[in-house]
Amino acid sequence: MIIVPATTGQMGVLPGHVPTIAELKPGVMTVHEGTDVSKYFVSSGFAFIHANSVADVIAVEAVPVDHLDSNLVQKGLAEFTQKLGSASTDLEKAEAQIGVDVYSAMNSALTG
Amino acid sequence: MASTAAVPFWRSAGMTYISYSNICANIVRNCLKEPHKSDALAREKVHFTVTKWSEGKPEKPSKIPALNPHMIGFYVFHVMYSIAHSPRSGGCFLRR
Repeated sequence: MIIVPATTGQMGVLPGHVPTIAELKPGVMTVHEGTDVSKYFVSSGFAFIHANSVADVIAVEAVPVDHLDSNLVQKGLAEFTQKLGSASTDLEKAEAQIGVDVYSAMNSALTG
Repeated sequence: MASTAAVPFWRSAGMTYISYSNICANIVRNCLKEPHKSDALAREKVHFTVTKWSEGKPEKPSKIPALNPHMIGFYVFHVMYSIAHSPRSGGCFLRR
């Protein structure tokens, strides 16, 4: 079973799942193989679940959660929260918001 | 009946999905521990070859050295770009 961070919320996928295309938000994908659990942080992407119970998760970056450096995440979160406060144009606000979203997601992945 | 699908904040700010996705990926790459970080930063490079077309004929292609993809304005008609070598990506080649 896998749990993917879809934009509509955490989505669990088991064999026999209805064919779905889900857009992913930055977050943790948990893979349960028997009793083994591995967690990966995906930067964004899509999950395709096919009728034959094959699921593809496409992401630009998918890293095991223990590859993330929590100091860099905390620094980044503080930096982008500050950028969000001082952003003026729509594009700057969007970029700052993206930064805040991704860093917060990484933060919860490391502390959760 | 008009579509009432909510537009994500980045799209209403004029950003495309691919820019959004690349920004997210850059952020994640910069938060990695070494040695994974240097491997990932090598993966970030994109090599472009730009071919200008005039009167239906291609001119000599010019090589642009490795650049950050979301800083390019796509002003040329035909752009060939290849993702930098990475065993995981298996080398993806797109021609438009």
